[in-house]
Amino acid sequence: MGNIYYIFRREFRAITADSAVLIFFIGLTLAYPVLYTYIYSEETVFEVPVAVVDHCGSSGSRELVRAWDASPSIDVAARCTDAEEARRLLYRKKVYGLLEIPADFASDLAGGEQAHISLYCDMGALLNYKALLQSASLVAAGVGKKVQVAGLPYASTKQEEVTATPVQMEEVKLFNPQSGYATFIIPAILILVLQQSLLLGVGTLAGTARERSRRKSSLPSNGHYRSAFQVVLGKTLAYLPFYLVMGLWVIVVIPGIFNLTQTGSRWDLFLFLVPFLTGCIFFALTLSFLCKEREMPFLLFVFTSVPLMFMSGISWPSTAIPPFWKAFAYFFPSTHGIEGYVRINTLGSSFGEVREPFLRLCLLAAFYFLLAVLLYRKEIRKARLSLEP
Amino acid sequence: MAFKAIIQRELKRMVSRRIYLFLTVVAPVASFLFFAAMFRTGVPTNLPVAVVDRDHTSISRSLIRSLDAFEETDVAMEPGSFAEAREAMQRGEIYGIFYIPPEFRRSASSEKEPLLSFYTNDSYILPGSLIYKDMKLQSALANGVVQRTRMTARGVTEPQLSARLNPVALDTHPLNNPWLSYAVYLSNILMPAVLSMFVMFLVVFSVTEELKRGSATEWMELSGGSIGKALAGKLLPQTVLMGITGTFCLALMYRFLHFPLNSGFFPMFTAMLLLIVASQGFALLVLGIFKNTRIALSACALWAVLSFSISGFTFPVRSMPEAMQWFAHLFPMRYYFLLYVDQALNGIPVAYSISSYLALLLFAGSPLAVLPRIRSLLRANKYTP
Repeated sequence: MGNIYYIFRREFRAITADSAVLIFFIGLTLAYPVLYTYIYSEETVFEVPVAVVDHCGSSGSRELVRAWDASPSIDVAARCTDAEEARRLLYRKKVYGLLEIPADFASDLAGGEQAHISLYCDMGALLNYKALLQSASLVAAGVGKKVQVAGLPYASTKQEEVTATPVQMEEVKLFNPQSGYATFIIPAILILVLQQSLLLGVGTLAGTARERSRRKSSLPSNGHYRSAFQVVLGKTLAYLPFYLVMGLWVIVVIPGIFNLTQTGSRWDLFLFLVPFLTGCIFFALTLSFLCKEREMPFLLFVFTSVPLMFMSGISWPSTAIPPFWKAFAYFFPSTHGIEGYVRINTLGSSFGEVREPFLRLCLLAAFYFLLAVLLYRKEIRKARLSLEP
Repeated sequence: MAFKAIIQRELKRMVSRRIYLFLTVVAPVASFLFFAAMFRTGVPTNLPVAVVDRDHTSISRSLIRSLDAFEETDVAMEPGSFAEAREAMQRGEIYGIFYIPPEFRRSASSEKEPLLSFYTNDSYILPGSLIYKDMKLQSALANGVVQRTRMTARGVTEPQLSARLNPVALDTHPLNNPWLSYAVYLSNILMPAVLSMFVMFLVVFSVTEELKRGSATEWMELSGGSIGKALAGKLLPQTVLMGITGTFCLALMYRFLHFPLNSGFFPMFTAMLLLIVASQGFALLVLGIFKNTRIALSACALWAVLSFSISGFTFPVRSMPEAMQWFAHLFPMRYYFLLYVDQALNGIPVAYSISSYLALLLFAGSPLAVLPRIRSLLRANKYTP
């Protein structure tokens, strides 16, 4: 007990004395969620500038352009006389798409033939393409429906509408009604930042200790550091207070400030975070054995954030992840943390419904706990051997 | 001669430690291969959805069959009730629900306007929108089938039918990525952004090592006190190595994965080389500004990670808050993204891209403004943890 307390106190002091570690534990966790929520605060694209080439110039084509311009996602920024002029605007990124209405648009419609309009989209950013396509299909269908109804000389208005679209459609976007980008990506970033900041901070502590020790050991050579079990426990107790506070910041304060979706129960979230945070700490302690120098964590861990994001099933559907990488992803607490957090927070699952990722996290925490204890045991043994003459 | 000596010294340093191999080859190439494997299908296929069929007629069966036939959609379950489907969605097992109401066929054939509903889970934006597209198309097809039977019954002939069903047809041309491949759209930025990260880390880490081992004096002496020579000699081997890894990245994308390269090789090769020297320039710039290797390393890490968002390939820069739109100019990856869109993707005349090439050059040249500060950092030869 005394040893654990000693190790805890010494590690805690090491944290507070090292501004680099404090930046990872507090600064990073504090700032990243704010920054990302700010970047994506608009949630979706509005008023994408587009060009229109109207070869027809009839009242019908003008109405179509007006209706498109009125869509919230579209801004008809240029009306061009020919496609060449519009293409130059596309090249100069003044517009991201171009709608061409042929000369026979009005006559085709009047003559009961199918009229074609062409939409050209710049594919640099898929979100712009989606906005252009959805608004243009909606407008084309709207104009089409008018023609259909007008083309039926018989029956009442109601009956006309039924004939135009005999089957009604209802589209409901559950859990993220406006397809918001922040609503989708921020939960994953919140969870990932907890894990990655721990990796960086704990790695820096270990690297610094190794660098400063003559024996290249991350542990001081005094009698308190004799049991690997006590070392892991003492260190964990030193990191935990920081992450309980930062966990609250990430889980309660950030979604509160930025009005992010919060459907699940807060207590379920807290309960779920226990194995996640302890799992992350043991994981960080294990990987800290890769850090021989203070700067190593940067070189080893920063780049993993993006692949981890894709492996978590958020940025890329988990059903499309190759089996090897899916198995690989199992070894990272973030994979299960993100899954459970999104299910509780965004999809409103109860604790019982996330039992599976919860148990996987517990298993992972136990696995990394054992691994960390084994690695420290080896280190302690090595230190003892080097002390003997 | 001094120059050659510095280069030789640098090469010796780099082969003496495994971490350099990790930074220049292992980690970037592993990341490239990871992304290539991850997006190998281009568009995710067989995304699981649930169909709740309360009609159980030949029409509803055929609707389900044709929904399942879409490449992107896989009808993974047919639960008896909507509640059951919704629970499966909450568990993340399915991305969408297609609901066919009771008496669907009867109401459709008796002019009663039955209601088809589809639900998508847009907490997963990508599968959500792919499935939305398929289900929407499916509903339109259902509409067409019903209309067709009614109109033929009224004696409308086949050629007039498509005009009646769909008077205004929208022909969409996704320019230069007609497959709507996510592999093309994501890898083209993810891979170079990872490379740029390691280029910056390599610069700062190699300087950190000199200071930590107190060898900066020896390094400066070799260059005869010229900071320009000292830096150039140290960075040139790094530029060449990263250039080779960068060329591998280009070869992987445009040669092996057959991504569109409408500009030909040289505009993108130039963009890649400029990205590398721009990243080196940025790393030196922050090193000079802060005169502290740890802060420089943190700044580079921050820049590298933010690059993925702020280059604007997932969420367009013009839809970000205005402050962010200005901020985006400070990221080399932003200009590389613009070059990729102009050159590799759209293949437009290089003249339109001059400003982006120049911006990258400007990043490369930016450390000139802080050379005296870097010199005094190396002269002091002191490592601050």
